[in-house]
Amino acid sequence: MAKNNNNHDEHRPNVGLYLKVFGALMVLTVVTVAISKVHLSRPLAIGLGLTVASVKAALVCAIFMHLWGENKVIHKALWITVACGAIMLLPLIDCLLVAQRITAPVSVAEQHPGGHGEAHAAEAHATEPVKVEAAAKSKPAAKKGGH
Amino acid sequence: MNNPDTHSGVTNAKLGVWLFLASEIMLFATLFTSYIVLRMGSTSWPWGWDVLNVPLATLNTVILISSSVTIVMAYARAYDKDKGGFQKWMAATLLLSLGFLVVKGFEYGHEFALGIGPHTSVFYAIYFTMTGLHGIHILGGIAVNGGLLWMSTVDEHWNNHLFLGRVEGAGLYWHFVDVVWIFLFPALYLL
Repeated sequence: MAKNNNNHDEHRPNVGLYLKVFGALMVLTVVTVAISKVHLSRPLAIGLGLTVASVKAALVCAIFMHLWGENKVIHKALWITVACGAIMLLPLIDCLLVAQRITAPVSVAEQHPGGHGEAHAAEAHATEPVKVEAAAKSKPAAKKGGH
Repeated sequence: MNNPDTHSGVTNAKLGVWLFLASEIMLFATLFTSYIVLRMGSTSWPWGWDVLNVPLATLNTVILISSSVTIVMAYARAYDKDKGGFQKWMAATLLLSLGFLVVKGFEYGHEFALGIGPHTSVFYAIYFTMTGLHGIHILGGIAVNGGLLWMSTVDEHWNNHLFLGRVEGAGLYWHFVDVVWIFLFPALYLL
């Protein structure tokens, strides 16, 4: 990348590359829609769809936003942002595990006999079965609050 | 690329725009995280094809990607000091932006006519929140890009050595709005 005659750090445009990326983005958009229409299992469709979306986003960031060849200060700032974003995703791991435990009908029936499952999510979360059972016995009225 | 006139190697304006975008990334990341939590916690989740207008959303995707190209072409014309070319491509960007909002308006209008709103379900609550916030960002981009188009008609602004940096900053913001939609489209409408 070269500087322009304004002596600032604007990037030299590459119109041919912009048009190629535009074509790629259009093709990838069609691919994204096609993935959702083909009969794939939902996890596979979600994985493929998000992968294609990530490729599209990477193209826009690298070429249109000139991140390819950008100053390292900008790169560092963005890596810090990505790290902070990743921290936010950590609770999702627990959420995934808890969702499996709580919303599975068998699990709900075992932990909350006579209850309605999701209304007791807070109680069931991260407690031993003995404690949950004791809580269920001590709060019989609360069991009718579910939906 | 390093700018010897600055301490960090980039102009303060560009660094400021990128830091602003970093905060925007965190804002939308929070919403996407909420979306994932709500979706995983739901016993059922509708398929976008069944409850939303996917063809209109696909059209909007094409419109927004096209506008990303037109604004980068406007930047290329500004770089070459081609005022007419800049104005043409920036005007095209504005038209496409307005087109996006019109299409989105049709989509919202149809949903409201059916009595569908954020109150309808968790899915619609997160759908209206995310697309609504994105729409507000589109409005902000239109204001900035419209301002630059007007500034280009004033020689004092057009000849200002900072003008090209302003165009690049506006372009960065607009591409970010495009990237957000690139993830919103499959997350809400397709998958």
